[in-house]
Amino acid sequence: MELLDRYLQAVKKLLPRRRQDDIIAELRANMESQIEDKESELGRPLTEGEFEDLLRRMGPPVVVASRYQPQQYLIGPTFFPIYTYVMRIALLWAFIVCIIVFAVVLPLTTKEPGNVAGSLFNIPGILIQTAGWITLVFAAIEFASTRYPQMCPPIEGITTKWHPQSLPPLEKNTSPGCKQRSFAQAVAEVFFGALFLAWLLLIPRYPFVILGPGAFYLQASPFALAPVWWTFFWCAVGFNSLQVAWKCVDLARGTWRFPNRLQQTAFKIFGLVPMIVLLTARDHMYVILKNPDADQLRYGQSLDQTNNGIHYGVAVLCTILVLQVAFDLWKWARDGYRLREEAR
Amino acid sequence: MTVAENLFENLRLELRRGCLTLAVLAQLRREHYGYTLRKDLDERGLEIDESTLYPLLRRLESQGLLLSEWREEEKRNKRFYRLSPEGEQILARLLDEWNTINTSVTRILEQPSAESSK
Repeated sequence: MELLDRYLQAVKKLLPRRRQDDIIAELRANMESQIEDKESELGRPLTEGEFEDLLRRMGPPVVVASRYQPQQYLIGPTFFPIYTYVMRIALLWAFIVCIIVFAVVLPLTTKEPGNVAGSLFNIPGILIQTAGWITLVFAAIEFASTRYPQMCPPIEGITTKWHPQSLPPLEKNTSPGCKQRSFAQAVAEVFFGALFLAWLLLIPRYPFVILGPGAFYLQASPFALAPVWWTFFWCAVGFNSLQVAWKCVDLARGTWRFPNRLQQTAFKIFGLVPMIVLLTARDHMYVILKNPDADQLRYGQSLDQTNNGIHYGVAVLCTILVLQVAFDLWKWARDGYRLREEAR
Repeated sequence: MTVAENLFENLRLELRRGCLTLAVLAQLRREHYGYTLRKDLDERGLEIDESTLYPLLRRLESQGLLLSEWREEEKRNKRFYRLSPEGEQILARLLDEWNTINTSVTRILEQPSAESSK
């Protein structure tokens, strides 16, 4: 019986203090009855091994005691779906705000590129904090609704005012080649888009991030980039900002699953703008001389050759891009025609 | 334990959970204390662990479905449980539900499967 006492003592220590004695008295009575029953069946006292078997069947003290605890959830099944929904939206927005602040605003306001990189490493911490706060709020709601159900009104819009007409419209069928995107892919596109934007914005202050050691050679050489490159640069920044913003909106609206054809085509058309700026550069001047009066004779010919080369390169690139847009528009029109034919 | 076995075990426990409560409530139309209740259920083919049954009795009592009292029997103090009036009502409703489900499942199982009907 010493083993039984030790077992019950171990269970008791894990029980709620207020009910310990009552539960242990009941457990003892039941177990003693069971032992007596077994012994009268066998016609002899239980051996130590049989006694151990009986306790083993009963289960470890921690398991037995835990079953006497009230069933508790940190966040129960009623609130869990809302919790995961809110968590996803909040983390997404926290991420977007972090990216905008750290990757776009900070490069424009700080002189240290290291600050930008360092700030990006803070993002996981901020996201964990956000998740922690949301979990805490939902745990509090769960606690209140379990303990004081009469004080918790039904959640409007989720349980009371929901209407089937508020369901979002059916997502349009995409063409067979259009694969569904994963959430991670959509988030990665925003993340790397913002990083690319941050890199772009660092270029005016730190030209070496694009030209490498060439930036120092350019500085020391008699040549300089023509002002058209600045127009091109800000067009590129505007285009990339538009892309990132549009993808953020897609994420927030939940329309990231299927890439929108209109959006893809619009991006390609907007992408043409910076190239057209370059193509229409006045006198095809992409590189100029810092001191034209002094260096014109010496470098004039090679300057013309360089500018003509760049112009032809840009023209070829523009032609490829225009052909791509035209091909996309043709495919779009063809699929639209097929869909109309199928609908008939 | 394989994934399939684990899945089966989870589903089995889920299925048993509600049935055990129903069986315990039904058995407690007559007064019992923990050990004899377990023995009775066992004899009728429903095996239930002590560590599941005894806390379940407490929970059902705290929900107002059972009444209990400490009483001496065979020179030992035991806690006896029986169905409360509220428990009787709930048991009647649960039995209705059980019978409906049982009938429906039996009917579903009796109908020829889709493949064999082709």
